Amino acid sequence: MSAAETDKTPSGRRRIRNTALALMSVALAFYFGIIALLVYRGTHH
Amino acid sequence: MAHDHTSHAHHGAHDDHHHDEPAKGIKRWLFATNHKDIGTMYLVFSLIMFFVGGSMAMVIRAELFHPGMQLVHPEFFNEMTTNHALVMIFGAVMPAFVGLANWMVPLQVGAPDMALPRMNNFSFWILPFAFTLLLSTLLVPGGAAAGGWTLYPPLSLQTGDAFPMLIFAIHMMGASSIMGAINVIVTIMNMRAPGMTLLKMPIFCWSWLITAYLLIAVMPVLAGAVTMLLTDHFFKTSFFNAAGGGDPIMFEHIFWFFGHPEVYIMILPAFGIISEILPTFARKPLFGATSMIYAIASIAFLSFIVWGHHMFVDGMPLAAQIFYMISTMLIAVPTGVKVFNWTATLWRGSITFEPPMLFALSFLFLFTIGGFSGLMLAIVPVDFQYNQTYFVVAHFHYVLVPGAIFAIMGAVYYWIPKWTGHMYNMTLAKTHFWLSTIFVNVLFFPQHFLGLAGMPRRIPDYAVQFTDWNMVSSIGGFGFGLSQILFVIVIVQCVRGGQKASAKVWDDARPTGLEWTLPSPPPYHSFTTAPEVP
Repeated sequence: MSAAETDKTPSGRRRIRNTALALMSVALAFYFGIIALLVYRGTHH
Repeated sequence: MAHDHTSHAHHGAHDDHHHDEPAKGIKRWLFATNHKDIGTMYLVFSLIMFFVGGSMAMVIRAELFHPGMQLVHPEFFNEMTTNHALVMIFGAVMPAFVGLANWMVPLQVGAPDMALPRMNNFSFWILPFAFTLLLSTLLVPGGAAAGGWTLYPPLSLQTGDAFPMLIFAIHMMGASSIMGAINVIVTIMNMRAPGMTLLKMPIFCWSWLITAYLLIAVMPVLAGAVTMLLTDHFFKTSFFNAAGGGDPIMFEHIFWFFGHPEVYIMILPAFGIISEILPTFARKPLFGATSMIYAIASIAFLSFIVWGHHMFVDGMPLAAQIFYMISTMLIAVPTGVKVFNWTATLWRGSITFEPPMLFALSFLFLFTIGGFSGLMLAIVPVDFQYNQTYFVVAHFHYVLVPGAIFAIMGAVYYWIPKWTGHMYNMTLAKTHFWLSTIFVNVLFFPQHFLGLAGMPRRIPDYAVQFTDWNMVSSIGGFGFGLSQILFVIVIVQCVRGGQKASAKVWDDARPTGLEWTLPSPPPYHSFTTAPEVP
């Protein structure tokens, strides 16, 4: 399957959705991660 | 430069299918999912913000024309410096690059659109609300944020009613950027035309792919930092409050962990653009194309480990100072690879000086000046002298104005005939270039002298010995600001009509890339059948 055809097939759509969800998870992990890190630092002097 | 007067380009835009037409009226823009429409909206928004942020710069330069208080209250001056930065970074430069990515990434990789068109619409339409909120803080009791765009506590926590509005606006800008970045990565990773391997991909797409990863890594960190500022302000937490056991220096670490990669987010796509323009008008392939990609990736990696150079004067262990100094200087290596590769691309090239090439050449010289002053600032004892002076202001403005903004202007002059199907007024565009290049140097070069002589930044008044160079700088500022009216005139004229552009636009120069295989303007839905890349 060509790359440009991906958005026309169910498996292609799934790949696009999964890539987007994976990247969104990374972003959320950085957001909550940095806050969790500082909360941990604040409570474990 | 030759133009194909019998171009099929114009017809090509309408000969696909009956549904190959944009929606009528405001719905076309409100509910846009087409990458070209969204790209156009981003670019128009960015241009508006460029003038909003520019008008704030004019207030700053007008106040600094003479020593003593001239025109505005000192508090308002501080609001101008803070909001000028926020508007230019998040409203002008970043959306301009996202707009260019929206227009060009699908065309360059042979995809019919961005992978996530509805999210694309959402990520654009967040921005007008974010900036309406940000700019409305100028009207609320206590005034807008005035503690600098870096939002260092405890100063930023003294902001009045504007504070939660500012934090929410930053969250919206961040969400918009992250969604834009996800869209770019997903498009490039999943929707390239058959045969387009990653190393065959145009360098502009490469630069954006790497930039998008940077965005996903650091925008959430900024969001986390400002969330913690918000809870410190309203919910009695003490993340950055020393009285409650917190650490204000920690905010600086987190902010610059975001802030330094942010600098590269604003320059890596510019590198990609310059790497597209120079080979076209030098009529030679890009020298060391693969090494250019590795150089961009190296710069991106290094950008994560140099943040401490923004904080040398805070006090840090000697080993940390040395680490941050050397890691910062290391960035000069891949950047040098790029500058030498661009120069080697020009070597013995058959060069012509169309407006995009003029901007690219100007970028090459002037960005390098900004790079060199950055190297000076990386040296710890030197930074102790220059920190918080106008030398720093001169440095980062050389990187961002004749660096990032000139690359954006070069990109617009390079691709706008492709977008509109019309050539623009070359004489007017060249006049815009020369006025911009002369005035940008008149504006920012004297700021090196002011900084070396000890003039502090972010102040509305100064000692009289700084008067002359401040006057020169302000004259440069007014000249640069007025010159940009020409840019708008050229764009408006080009959109409304003009000599027909051929598919390749720059026929004599024979530009390479899939975008030039489409007519000018490209059909509303392009590459509905994937092209084959040999």
